[in-house]
Amino acid sequence: MDSSTSVALEPLLSFLAFSLSQIESGFYRIPGSAVVARYVKSSHQNDPGRTILELILVIFAIRTLLQSRTRTDRSGKHFIRFSEKEIDELVDEWVPEPLVQPLSEWEQKDLNSVPVIAGPNGPKPKLLATGKIVTNLASFNFAGLAGNEKVKERALETLQKYGLGSCGPPGFYGTIDVHLDLERDIAEFLGTEASILYSQGFSTISSVIPAFCKRGDIIVADRSVNFAIQKGILISRSTVRWFDHNDLKSLEDTLISVEKDRKKRKGPLTRRFIITEGIFERDGEMVDLPKLVELKLKYKYRLIMDESISFGTMGRTGRGLTELYNVPASQIDMLVGSVANGLCSAGGFCAGSAIVVDHQRINGTSFVFSASMPALLATSGSEAITLLRNNPSVLLNLQDNIRAIRAVLEKTEGITLLGHRASPIIHFCLRTQQQSLSVTQSTYDHEAEERILQDIVDDSVANGVLLTRAKHLRGQEMIESRPTIRIAASAALTRKEVEKAAGVVKASVTRILSKRR
Amino acid sequence: MSRPSPKLLHLTVPVPADIKGRRRSGSIVKVEEVGGRTEELLDRNAYLNINANWVNAKGAWLIHVVLVFMGKIIIDTIPGMTQQISWTLVNLIYLNLSYLMFHWVTGIPFDNELHGGAYDDLTLWEQIDDGAQYTPSKKWLFTAPILLFLASTHYTNYNPWLFAVNLTALIVLAIIPKLPQLHRQRVRFLTGDASGVSTPVTPSFPKMDQNPLHAANPAESHFG
Repeated sequence: MDSSTSVALEPLLSFLAFSLSQIESGFYRIPGSAVVARYVKSSHQNDPGRTILELILVIFAIRTLLQSRTRTDRSGKHFIRFSEKEIDELVDEWVPEPLVQPLSEWEQKDLNSVPVIAGPNGPKPKLLATGKIVTNLASFNFAGLAGNEKVKERALETLQKYGLGSCGPPGFYGTIDVHLDLERDIAEFLGTEASILYSQGFSTISSVIPAFCKRGDIIVADRSVNFAIQKGILISRSTVRWFDHNDLKSLEDTLISVEKDRKKRKGPLTRRFIITEGIFERDGEMVDLPKLVELKLKYKYRLIMDESISFGTMGRTGRGLTELYNVPASQIDMLVGSVANGLCSAGGFCAGSAIVVDHQRINGTSFVFSASMPALLATSGSEAITLLRNNPSVLLNLQDNIRAIRAVLEKTEGITLLGHRASPIIHFCLRTQQQSLSVTQSTYDHEAEERILQDIVDDSVANGVLLTRAKHLRGQEMIESRPTIRIAASAALTRKEVEKAAGVVKASVTRILSKRR
Repeated sequence: MSRPSPKLLHLTVPVPADIKGRRRSGSIVKVEEVGGRTEELLDRNAYLNINANWVNAKGAWLIHVVLVFMGKIIIDTIPGMTQQISWTLVNLIYLNLSYLMFHWVTGIPFDNELHGGAYDDLTLWEQIDDGAQYTPSKKWLFTAPILLFLASTHYTNYNPWLFAVNLTALIVLAIIPKLPQLHRQRVRFLTGDASGVSTPVTPSFPKMDQNPLHAANPAESHFG
């Protein structure tokens, strides 16, 4: 058997030997082959193991050299390479999408339910649709400055003198002397060294934060800050840690853990900021300012406080939380407020030390790139500050009205009032069976609650009280909050009117909730 | 007036139960991607990165050969130097210095303000050619240590230990970090969570510790 296979294989073997000798002689005829042969022999050095390893390396290197270039990071991982025919097909069947998606039924209803007012806004405006006069509990008019006669006179004078437009950004022909006057007035009012004026309230805080916080800095922010602050933090690219809403114990824990992390990493000491609001727009809670300042000094953080709601409403003369808690305004590094909400004019400001304010003249994006506010709005703001200084009793009226509204609404069945009892914005939401936090997200229905609240709002408007839901961008904010109705108390209404209006709201709530049951 | 009223109902919808009370991660070794967030990609594309473009210049290719040559000559002048030790030294010094330059140091020394810290987590290798793989410079940088190794084994006859040392150094310091599969990946040892139970970390929160693939800091990784 063995000999027969070897006999069969003999011609094959002799053919192989012959072809090998042919290849060898052909190889040696190529010029330079002797060099290569000598090189390989001396590399080999009689050690086949190493030669194999080196061969593997060489093959790997050649494979790498032969690979073609891949795409860069920037082109994205989702790029699909289509063939020409596929591209043509896709182009043929393409139908352009509309610029704006058509509104869903709920969104259409929401849009239609926004009331249109005939004439100027004020504490008792007239609705265009029905011609009825309603009590305005929706617009921010805390000290009753909207439609104030003195402010109107001053604004008209300014309009005669300066015209309307401001001609440009504040750094480039847009600053008028009345802007500088208002900045000085705000700084004197608050007791800071200087202040800077921004032309829009929303973009104030979202310009102040990126002006000071850069990538690599640490921000410790409250979870329920408003949308403008969230955008500012996102733009700044800083590392952000969130602490539980209005919980100073949680804040302290976060500050300690940030310091521990930094020590563990042996990282350099970077700038650190605490960002919070004076009165939270989302639910009306008020922050404990002395304790906050104490924490900030202990852990060496800078404090950015957004007093959009509390400036012009809190304190004896409306200076905000600093007056209320008797904390000097120099303790707050950047005090951001809203001239639109508190002084019923337009825009916002940031008050602080001279260095803080001067830095923003170049680095505050909204200051550099947006037009400055019209002159008449700046003088309205200055006049409003004078009025607040001279008539602090309006704020006592405001607090009376707040107490009156809360007293009526607390007795209402089926709703829960939120926020601090002195806060000028009063949120209420539907009271659910389970009062605790054990409501899981799957059983929670935003849409249904919003519909019920919208029914309450519509019913109130029909009965003479203008209300609004607190509007949020669903899916864009960092945390989803429960739908609420937001009441903005005003000092321009008398106590009787406010009690009557609150009674109407209570009746609407009871009516709608009993219908639902 | 300054005492806050007791909270009746938390306004926020509670976070799902799997984030609260999250257990510490049990793995000893974890491979993570860095530098892939959208803001960082946008910030990188704003300007040209001169810190990574110089490797494309032809002089930068030639300098490897020149430096190795000069290094070999200088090391050969040391009295009592055998060929084995000399080639091993050249090999190891070249591999270590190129590892330090291309795979250890992160961030950019020049033009840091322009890119706003978008390159702070990336090594030079990952910055070359905006992260494209198998570009000409990368192919050259891949081949150069291999050629050096092959030349060194050709001209001397290593004893088995030195051969193993050289080969391991080549694979660990030159080949593995340059593989495209490890692009922007970091191996982390024994990391703890950056926050406690009371402040659960949001998904977009970047990890605070940086522990790139290296074995030279056992203390930090051990007590991490």
